[in-house]
Amino acid sequence: MYNWVETTHVLTLAVFLGMLFVIDLRMLGVCLTSVPASKLAARLDRPMMLGFAVMIITGVMLFYAAPIRTTQSVWFRIKVVLLIAAGINAMLFRRKMHGAVHSWDQDAVPPKPVRTAAALSLTLWAGVVITGRCIAYNWFDCGQEQSDLMNWAAGCLVDAAAQ
Amino acid sequence: MSLYQQALPFFEWLESSGLGQAAKAYGGVYAMAQSFHLMSLALLGGTVLVTDLRLLGVVLRDVPSEAVADGAHRWFKLALVVVILSGTFMVAGVATKAYYNEFYWAKMIALLVGIAFVFAIKRPLLRTEHAKIRPWLLKLVALASTTVWFTVAACGRWIGFSG
Repeated sequence: MYNWVETTHVLTLAVFLGMLFVIDLRMLGVCLTSVPASKLAARLDRPMMLGFAVMIITGVMLFYAAPIRTTQSVWFRIKVVLLIAAGINAMLFRRKMHGAVHSWDQDAVPPKPVRTAAALSLTLWAGVVITGRCIAYNWFDCGQEQSDLMNWAAGCLVDAAAQ
Repeated sequence: MSLYQQALPFFEWLESSGLGQAAKAYGGVYAMAQSFHLMSLALLGGTVLVTDLRLLGVVLRDVPSEAVADGAHRWFKLALVVVILSGTFMVAGVATKAYYNEFYWAKMIALLVGIAFVFAIKRPLLRTEHAKIRPWLLKLVALASTTVWFTVAACGRWIGFSG
């Protein structure tokens, strides 16, 4: 069961992140430049959000399979922060895009603020993938010799373990 | 001696090579390779999906399918290169284990089929004007393409679960 959920989580990456990559690359002005930016974003929005929904659902299921270990994973904590940052970036971008899109919609290369937001989005999502992958590793797990900073960042209950 | 048996020395050599040793020694680098493997999988899957969904008439119906297919293919090629490079590094570290893993072979066969399909059938076909191609043939190609790349990714994820 865990394997199926995990596989769905990873494969949906191609749906969600794949669509996101295509949209962001368009916003950078390097992919499908003949298609109006807003049209591409609007048309790929539904498959992207569909993928996002599946990722969230399977992601929550994976979390519940090992809630304590996951909560005490530095990587998971960074991942959640990056996810929130990516969400805020996307929301701000959406609001700005709907306001001023007609001035640059047909441009092959969108204006600088748009490109910056797209680059930020790509960077944040890359971080989400990297930290997500690292959750599987035990480098900074609690209960081993490591710095106080690491124990604090992972939320390890050091004192409780020592007693 | 079968072809399968003949391949064993190559996998043993790969694991003992510098690449294999590096993949074993540096967990952090390995996790980064895995992350890049996942991100390029997302890009590859995204470009395949956008093209196939367009050919099936699901998304971007008002954009010429030639533009979508050509624009996506450029990024597909980049994604394929990154997938293969990161994948080579990943397999080098566990080469003999992969050799005895049937999902590894299933994936490699699916991958070869996928590459051959794209460069020998799909691209040559899509380079002609799409209106002149029979609609059922376009849809068949789109379905076959999605199926084969889904198989590659699914078998790939399953390598980690078996063996």
